[in-house]
Amino acid sequence: MKKLVIIPAYNEEKSILGVVRKLQQDAPDFDYIVINDCSRDNTEQVLDTNQINHVTLPVNLGIGGAVHTGYIYAMRKGYDCAVQIDGDGQHDTAYLQEMAAELEKTGADMVIGSRFITYEGFQTSFMRRVGKTYLSGLIRLVTGEKISDPTSGYRMVNRQGIRLFAGDYPRDYPEPESIVTLLRAGGKVKEYPVIMKKREEGVSSIGPWKAVYYMVKVTLAIIIEKMRPRTVRFEK
Amino acid sequence: MTTRLRIILLILILSMLIHMILLIRNKKMQLQYTLTWLVLMIGLAAVVFNPNLLGQLTRFLGIYTPINMIFFVGFCVAIVIIYQLTQTVSVLSEQIKVLTQKVALLEKEVIVENSEEQE
Repeated sequence: MKKLVIIPAYNEEKSILGVVRKLQQDAPDFDYIVINDCSRDNTEQVLDTNQINHVTLPVNLGIGGAVHTGYIYAMRKGYDCAVQIDGDGQHDTAYLQEMAAELEKTGADMVIGSRFITYEGFQTSFMRRVGKTYLSGLIRLVTGEKISDPTSGYRMVNRQGIRLFAGDYPRDYPEPESIVTLLRAGGKVKEYPVIMKKREEGVSSIGPWKAVYYMVKVTLAIIIEKMRPRTVRFEK
Repeated sequence: MTTRLRIILLILILSMLIHMILLIRNKKMQLQYTLTWLVLMIGLAAVVFNPNLLGQLTRFLGIYTPINMIFFVGFCVAIVIIYQLTQTVSVLSEQIKVLTQKVALLEKEVIVENSEEQE
């Protein structure tokens, strides 16, 4: 099975090397690709001097556009499995093998690394958890499926998932919306308990003022997604 | 409408029309995006040549004074144009995204090929 780790990186000069080195140790059978989303710091030089496999976007596209590029790459290179992790080190690559085993064993199309199954490790703030509960409820209302951690950026998909996401992937705040897209295409989602670390460097992309925008945007995106005709259907 | 205002309006319309045609000729503006403006200019010109139209339209829309009608119609036209622009910007941003990804992936392939040739 050809497996790929997609690592979007925007201004991650301090953490990206550590993330890739740890990944190579934890999961030597995974290939990886770093998507440098037009970083303004020295990320590009770090990637070049350390000969890290990467693609550099000439224009900043945001997290969704960067990850989308990774899925297009996975599709073109014929990968059977692709997993996205953040370039800041908050997703522990020690889980990659277990998640891949879960993907194969259960025949799921997507395995999400969830913080809210065992509630261990770094937990987000109270307001974030309120948002998470709301999004879980909304997804359940729209698709009937229970997703405990809809905003987790730590997710693995199989071949069908790669094809779906290479076709189109939401631009910003893509996580909850893309779960709905996959479920509506007839995909199966499993969650795997993970412990997430606090970010090593840099700041979260979602500040307090953006939170409101986030909830409104994601809510509308999910509702509109429900209104779209189904263009892709997964094989069982 | 005084003759003075009609002349001023006519000059404004004509200079805008000439400017627009020059831009289209020099390929700095696309014809498809100028059609709304063209409709607006034709409407204004019609009012300049036949000021009675203004009164008739005002009564038709149930507005008290012609000046309010002007504000109302002008506002509507501006909204339509901005709406079209929003749509255009969305399409453009999607196109830029696709191009960016293509360029980045192609660039990577070229670099890989080059390094393989050197070896």
